[in-house]
Amino acid sequence: MAFNYENYLRLEKMPTLWCWGCGDGVILKTFVRAIDSLGINKDDICLVSGIGCSGRFSSYVDFNTVHTTHGRTIAFATGIKLANPTKHVICVAGDGDALAIGGNHTIHGCRRNIDITFIIINNFIYGLTNSQTSPTTPQGMWTVSQQAGNIDPTFNTCNLAIASGASFVARETVNDPKKLEKAMVKALEHKGFSLLEVLSNCHINLGRKNKMNSAIENLNWIDSITVSKKKYDTMTQEEQTNLLPTGILKQDTEAAEYCDMYAEVIKVHQGKRKTITQDDFKKKI
Amino acid sequence: MGTFKTKNPGNQPVWVNTNNCKACDICVSVCPAGVLGMVYEPTSTLGAMISIQHPEACIGCMECELACPDFAIYVADKKEYKFAKLVDESKERQAAVIVNNYMSLNEKRS
Repeated sequence: MAFNYENYLRLEKMPTLWCWGCGDGVILKTFVRAIDSLGINKDDICLVSGIGCSGRFSSYVDFNTVHTTHGRTIAFATGIKLANPTKHVICVAGDGDALAIGGNHTIHGCRRNIDITFIIINNFIYGLTNSQTSPTTPQGMWTVSQQAGNIDPTFNTCNLAIASGASFVARETVNDPKKLEKAMVKALEHKGFSLLEVLSNCHINLGRKNKMNSAIENLNWIDSITVSKKKYDTMTQEEQTNLLPTGILKQDTEAAEYCDMYAEVIKVHQGKRKTITQDDFKKKI
Repeated sequence: MGTFKTKNPGNQPVWVNTNNCKACDICVSVCPAGVLGMVYEPTSTLGAMISIQHPEACIGCMECELACPDFAIYVADKKEYKFAKLVDESKERQAAVIVNNYMSLNEKRS
């Protein structure tokens, strides 16, 4: 008997609509295994996804799911979490979804430090709509919207999240599903905004025109641009230029969580305490 | 369509669900022991299909199951099956399979 995936998936939707070798399938599988290892009840989870190939995620998993508008995953999830603070709320979005259209929601979710697990599947391109430049497309790559070569500088997702105030930030790749599962478990366990960036492959829409014809070539390229955080920290700045560190980049268990703070607001309105003042916070400005 | 074959079909170390396989070659590329190989299959979209060539060499590392995006390959539980050790013959076969463009060594190159 192998691992029983059937408990967690909507079998009538299978097989997946993703292309052959798509990293989204590996992330779906790893996610299911992570949920199983934590032993969370299926009914206590709400999975929110946006638009894009990653948006299919909510169709495949047999939890409470919401398939929302483009880029608005965090906005919907914030509402769901505030109404059900005891439940697990998980967002899944692609790089275009989370950083371009939904960039605004992402940074404000990080700032509020609300207890949401945010999985960003970064495949460096708008895959579903056929190869338009996304905020993470490397400079110089061919895209359908920049056929002479992409000139737009890129976002570093994890640095953006750390700067915006997320309390848990990690980066993993689909090349190592075992490590990815561990990172997912830690992200799910963390109380506060946890952002997990997963580097994934899109050999169909990114690779085909950029000398990475097959899934394996695309995965090897991802392998060549990533290095573990431990090794990354020992490198000189020059060596770090074209590499992304993987592993847990930030973990702050002390930061105040938004639902806890909101509970105080509820108490004020119930007449159980005085109004909130600056004295309630360590950080005044 | 729909059901996975997570149940062991009968004392196998590794088994596949060909209904789910999209022939992306990833499982063949991650296997350390040359257990797997693609075979030609005209009815498949990419013209190939996964096959298990040397089940006796499987070391139960789970790499293929975890790396498969389509829930098409499964590895037996370590408690239920006694897996082989990784030997040089297996490693050499794996290197040859990769050179053979992930096709099984029994298939002729086209």
